[in-house]
Amino acid sequence: MQPLPLPPPPAPPALRDINVDYRERYGFADPEQYVLKAPRGLSHEVVAMISGIKHEPEWMRAFRHQALDLFLAKPMPAWGDQAMLRQIDFDQIYYYIRPTAEQGRNWSDVPAGIKSTFERLGIPEAERKFLAGVSAQYESEVVYHSIRKDLEAKGVIFSDMDTGLREHPELVRRYFATIIPPGDNKFAALNSAVWSGGSFIYVPPHTRVDMPLQAYFRINAERMGQFERTLIIADEGASVHYIEGCTAPIYAADSLHSAVVELVALPGARIRYTTIQNWSNNVFNLVTKRAVAHRDAEVQWVDGNLGSKLTMKYPCVVLMGERAHGEVLSIAFAGDGQHQDAGAKMFHLAPNTTSRITSKSISKGLGCASYRGWVKIAKGAKGSKTHVECDALLIDGASRSDTYPTMEIAEPDAAVEHEARVSKLADDQLFYLRSRGLDLEQARLMVINGFIEPFVRQLPMEYAVELNRLIELEMEGSVG
Amino acid sequence: MASGTAQPRLRPEPSEQQLRSWSARRGEPDALGALRLEGLARYLDAPWPGRAEHLWRYTEPESLLPPGGLWPGDEAPRAPAARLAPAEGGALVLVRPGQAPIIAVSEGARRAGVSIVPLGAAGAGSGRLGALVGPHHGLFEALNTAAWSEGVAVHIARGALIPAPIRLVLSATAQTSVPRLLVVAEESCQATIVEEHVGGQPERFVVGVSELFVGPAARLRTVLLEGWEPGVSGHWSERARLERDAILLSVVGSFGGSRLKLALGVELDGPGAQAEIVGFALAEGQQHLDHHTEHCHRAPSTWSNIDFRAALSGQARFAYTGLIRIEPQAAKSEAYQEQRTLLLSDGARADAIPELEILTNDVRCTHGATCAPVPAEQLFYLRSRGIPAREAQQMVVRGFFEPALGRLPEPLRAGLAQRIEQRLDRLSAVASRTAVEAGP
Repeated sequence: MQPLPLPPPPAPPALRDINVDYRERYGFADPEQYVLKAPRGLSHEVVAMISGIKHEPEWMRAFRHQALDLFLAKPMPAWGDQAMLRQIDFDQIYYYIRPTAEQGRNWSDVPAGIKSTFERLGIPEAERKFLAGVSAQYESEVVYHSIRKDLEAKGVIFSDMDTGLREHPELVRRYFATIIPPGDNKFAALNSAVWSGGSFIYVPPHTRVDMPLQAYFRINAERMGQFERTLIIADEGASVHYIEGCTAPIYAADSLHSAVVELVALPGARIRYTTIQNWSNNVFNLVTKRAVAHRDAEVQWVDGNLGSKLTMKYPCVVLMGERAHGEVLSIAFAGDGQHQDAGAKMFHLAPNTTSRITSKSISKGLGCASYRGWVKIAKGAKGSKTHVECDALLIDGASRSDTYPTMEIAEPDAAVEHEARVSKLADDQLFYLRSRGLDLEQARLMVINGFIEPFVRQLPMEYAVELNRLIELEMEGSVG
Repeated sequence: MASGTAQPRLRPEPSEQQLRSWSARRGEPDALGALRLEGLARYLDAPWPGRAEHLWRYTEPESLLPPGGLWPGDEAPRAPAARLAPAEGGALVLVRPGQAPIIAVSEGARRAGVSIVPLGAAGAGSGRLGALVGPHHGLFEALNTAAWSEGVAVHIARGALIPAPIRLVLSATAQTSVPRLLVVAEESCQATIVEEHVGGQPERFVVGVSELFVGPAARLRTVLLEGWEPGVSGHWSERARLERDAILLSVVGSFGGSRLKLALGVELDGPGAQAEIVGFALAEGQQHLDHHTEHCHRAPSTWSNIDFRAALSGQARFAYTGLIRIEPQAAKSEAYQEQRTLLLSDGARADAIPELEILTNDVRCTHGATCAPVPAEQLFYLRSRGIPAREAQQMVVRGFFEPALGRLPEPLRAGLAQRIEQRLDRLSAVASRTAVEAGP
């Protein structure tokens, strides 16, 4: 008698299920009710219109037009996922949509349609419970915004970028686009031309914001482009933690998200910027993020990339002053059809600066996760130290992982270390766990949890609610 | 694409007719003439690599080509004028520009199964020449395919055990040298090939290619010693293909010349193939060394390892780019890559891009790269034991190379240790200054 063939081991539901319920949970689309929707495509007219609606000062209008010329002149990047980048059709995208006439300050002021969107995402509850300030961006405009009274009393400014430009023009003009000029890359130029919304934060000297400030970004319309612009300034000795989350409904046509985020950490300041990006799988997420850290300042990027079709994002810290410290901690999850091309950049320009990059990626099915990094130690940055660590976990036979780190060292008195590991779930670990009575599925789950644990640990409790939704709970939910 | 203004050409460009008749006068088969023409066409069409392509990020392609062009002219190679005495059991070959190679195979080696003939002679390497490094592998590779003027084909018979090394000495005596090597190691043979690049003077240019075919279960060791005189610039591209269970150990020593771009490629085509690169680079003054390695795992259960170490003094610059690619069909493969750089002086500079492209999950793959100065604590310790600063620094550099040297079998280890020692003596004058500055 022929022995029965063994069935293939099932993929653990924990992994299979990541984002399977995206459609139910985040993928809803509200009927489009807009006060204003700019025509499709990009032109000087659209840019003039956006600037006109916002009653912007002359310098900003000129800045936008100049940026548009730069965008049109610049070629697409010649590296990265060329096949995916070619799919972006800049003429099919709506560059500006205004969902509501007025920005709500109280939750009750927000139009019912938009309110239900954010209620489904859990924003107001989160705010009531934990968060110091919260700002919700729906399409191009910030629709709801609130900040705690005690922070306002301390002089902390937390508003959307448009309000910031109106109410604090001198502060905005002093720092805006100084970290990421419009000519930096094609997508930064695009954002500079059509930006709308985003957060503006200023923390006065020696002020600590203990509670994280939060923003939520949502794309609702098909073929929509979201181009928020965030500028955070932490004055001398100040500290702040900012968190953003992103979702979008699932449409047949692709959307584009291209943000620019600039952080300024003045001497002794501390900024931590956390992103949990869970765009639906038809969003191109092409983001430029850069921080400057002055003397004794510290900047941390905590970056979780779970959604999107293609993400290209390389948070950067320019360590300009002595003893400045930069850190990037990131996790990428690439499921079928996704390409997470993320990484980090560290520029050591002053003595005794230190940095650390920890990148973890999980590729599943046909997913592809890439780490692309650049560490540069300039001449004279004596005593600088940097450590780069990339770990990749490949779940399936067809999964892919790439690592492209670049290291340029012009200062001999510096220590540079880079290491990367790529592997599947370790058989010996699985064997050990199973020998302790766990079944294969539980064992695999435990190994994966251990893999992402260093990242999860860094998240504040209140925001772990969101990440837990996205990874941990879904994995743990499958364990009896 | 085009970074420079004028792309240096062969100059004067040989016409198709010229190239054909030149090839025919050298007694080359028609197919070889056609390959040369394809190489020429490809070279003239190929986009000029710019800094945006990371393989050319740290080296200007122009700096590796003579301003006056590379075409060796219509001259057929002259007859050799000397005799060589190879070590018993081995072989000795001298390849000089513009002259037919001098080939001396000892009786022992001939009996064991070594045959070496000038490249391009009827039958030599037929069907293999250009298969690994051809018109499509890059600008310099296309250039060499079109215009190589001298070289040898080494054939090691099936099952042959070659008792002594096969030494190939390539000298850079002419203004431009365009040499080419082809090695075919048949099934289950064992041999050691030592490739020595010597000679030259300022404003000498070399554009070379070597192709290595390693048959099933063959064990091949190659040593590539770059010991040009100061002032020589060169581009050398070497690529090996390994069949089932073949084992290749490549030892690289980059010591001389002014500018060198060395590309080492390994294709692990058969299950169980193993490839290892152990590299040493020592540079000083204005030397510029740019190294690229590429390991392509194309079959299951293949293994590769790279240990590349560089020590730099003066204003020297070392760039390393390395790619490990594991194809979907190469399950159960393992690949390791380690690159370490020791900076001995204030003006030295190092750049590294170690890359991984992993297309399947059942693999084990790691890479690491470090760059650091000589640790002050180590110097302090040695000096506290009464060792002068200069010697202390040399000891640290020796210690830095030791783990890689330890990977090598004798007598390769001893040979290379000696080369490093010679090179260290030259470095010491510069190094001692730094040690005094850095020391407490």
